[in-house]
Amino acid sequence: MEWQERIRQPEIECMSRDEMIALQSERLVKQVANVYEHVAFYNRKMKELGVEPGDIRGIEDIHKLPFTTKEDLRDNYPFGLLAVPKSKVARVQGTSGTTGKLTLASYTKHDTEIWGECVARGLTMAGLTEEDIIHVCYGYGLFTGGLGLDFGARELGALAIPMSAGNTKRQMMCLEDFGATAMACTPSYALHLAEALEDAGLVDRLKLKAGIFGAEPWTVEMRMEIERKLKINAFDIYGLCEILGPGVAMECIHHSGLHIYEDHFLPEILDPATDKPAADGETGELIFTTLTKEAMPLIRYRTKDLTSMDRSTCACGRTLPRISKFKGRTDDMKVIRGVNVFPTQIETALLSIDEALPHYLLIVDRENNLDVLTVMVEVDERYFSDEIRKLDDLKKKIGNVIKQAIGVSVKVKLVEPKSIERSEGKAKRVIDNRKL
Amino acid sequence: MIKQLSVFVENRPGSLMDVTNALTEAHINIRAVASFDTPEFAILRLVVDKAEDAKSYLTSKGFVVRVHDVMGVELIDQKGNLNHMLKILADGEISINYIYSFVIRAEKAPVMVFSTDDYEQAEQILKGAGVKIIEDSEL
Repeated sequence: MEWQERIRQPEIECMSRDEMIALQSERLVKQVANVYEHVAFYNRKMKELGVEPGDIRGIEDIHKLPFTTKEDLRDNYPFGLLAVPKSKVARVQGTSGTTGKLTLASYTKHDTEIWGECVARGLTMAGLTEEDIIHVCYGYGLFTGGLGLDFGARELGALAIPMSAGNTKRQMMCLEDFGATAMACTPSYALHLAEALEDAGLVDRLKLKAGIFGAEPWTVEMRMEIERKLKINAFDIYGLCEILGPGVAMECIHHSGLHIYEDHFLPEILDPATDKPAADGETGELIFTTLTKEAMPLIRYRTKDLTSMDRSTCACGRTLPRISKFKGRTDDMKVIRGVNVFPTQIETALLSIDEALPHYLLIVDRENNLDVLTVMVEVDERYFSDEIRKLDDLKKKIGNVIKQAIGVSVKVKLVEPKSIERSEGKAKRVIDNRKL
Repeated sequence: MIKQLSVFVENRPGSLMDVTNALTEAHINIRAVASFDTPEFAILRLVVDKAEDAKSYLTSKGFVVRVHDVMGVELIDQKGNLNHMLKILADGEISINYIYSFVIRAEKAPVMVFSTDDYEQAEQILKGAGVKIIEDSEL
């Protein structure tokens, strides 16, 4: 594919390190004063640590600030961490929590504009302009994927086709009929769609040139396969609902890591064992402080994603630091078809039914490029029936209760008692056979 | 009535043998066996000489076992006899959930085992038609 590098905001994206540190420091000082005054949670946390806003003079003081965890979001669910009156909240988005409740994020109108701006930078990074037509087959709804890309397209002045997820046949028809030049979805769905388009002999009738794919981990091999099948350039986009949604970081054409929009999201990489900063290139947990968020600013939010950072200037000319593709998690969260799934959610669901089934194992596979989650549950004398029909009913019931809890369909497999390994400490609950 | 064991087994090599192996250890004699499979698991149904002993031993070995009553009827080893017995049940509107036959009975007539939802009615009908119903003690 012919390529012309475009940079939407070179004054930010190519800023010198000193200028960026000055900008971040100025924003951090303001944000800390803001949360200290307006968010009871941070006021208390900072007092507990004996830190006052005046102690934070720049990003070099970041280590003095308290961490924020997903559990803190749960404890303050749904609106406990707002730094603005609730009437200023213009939008909410959600993602799965570790137990029954969602993790909810609030945005002011200004926050959604910043969000759009960040995604627009990413779309530009993918070579797109206001001339482009972006077929968005991420889900629209509480999930940030669909609306995030939509906001970005609007900010860029491009046309977004709000397809949402599913119904591959209709997706194929619209891709062809509307002349989309770019598409956005999860990489596994992109590959699934690519194969369907190939089988239907439609690829050469499309005008696609770029794909923006994210919300789940994917390999370089998978990117190259999508690029080859669809004859496009594919780009990895990263984000998390708590911080923004897609648009926190994005890959450029050089594919040497994802550029973090650090003028808005101050990153740290910490050694998970010591919480001390990891050197550039060393793996650690990614932590974000939102420097400009109004509705729900977060200080030192622990993403639990493991990665490493490269601060050297990229071949594309951007000075924005790059994070490597993710190397794992510090917890047992899995991303299934773009949805964050925690084993604890499934455990809660299994214990909620009459049969209360405590012994389970989750197996994640990728079949025909789509994630398949199999839940193995041990049968037990209390509900074992001589009739196949009753066991089938039980399987259906388990499948339904889990789907309600996590929003993803699962395969249920009944297995013999004691066939799932017991361990002394934390039981191994997930086997991931995907090659990510 | 006859006591039948139902054992949950996964579909994998050796899973049936695990059950028969445990029964051998417990000195249990298997009289009849049938397996009903689904794509992922099977229910192994067994008639054995000491049903309660077999259940407690299998349970101690980690199997999930249930004991159910089933009906055993003696057939005459000649053409059309199974059909004859089934016709009696069909005429009496007895629905059969499943049916299987005995492994071997030296010197004795063949026996079919079946499960139904209405044993009282089935017994009455079969007896009325002169079909011999087998009890545990006669196995």
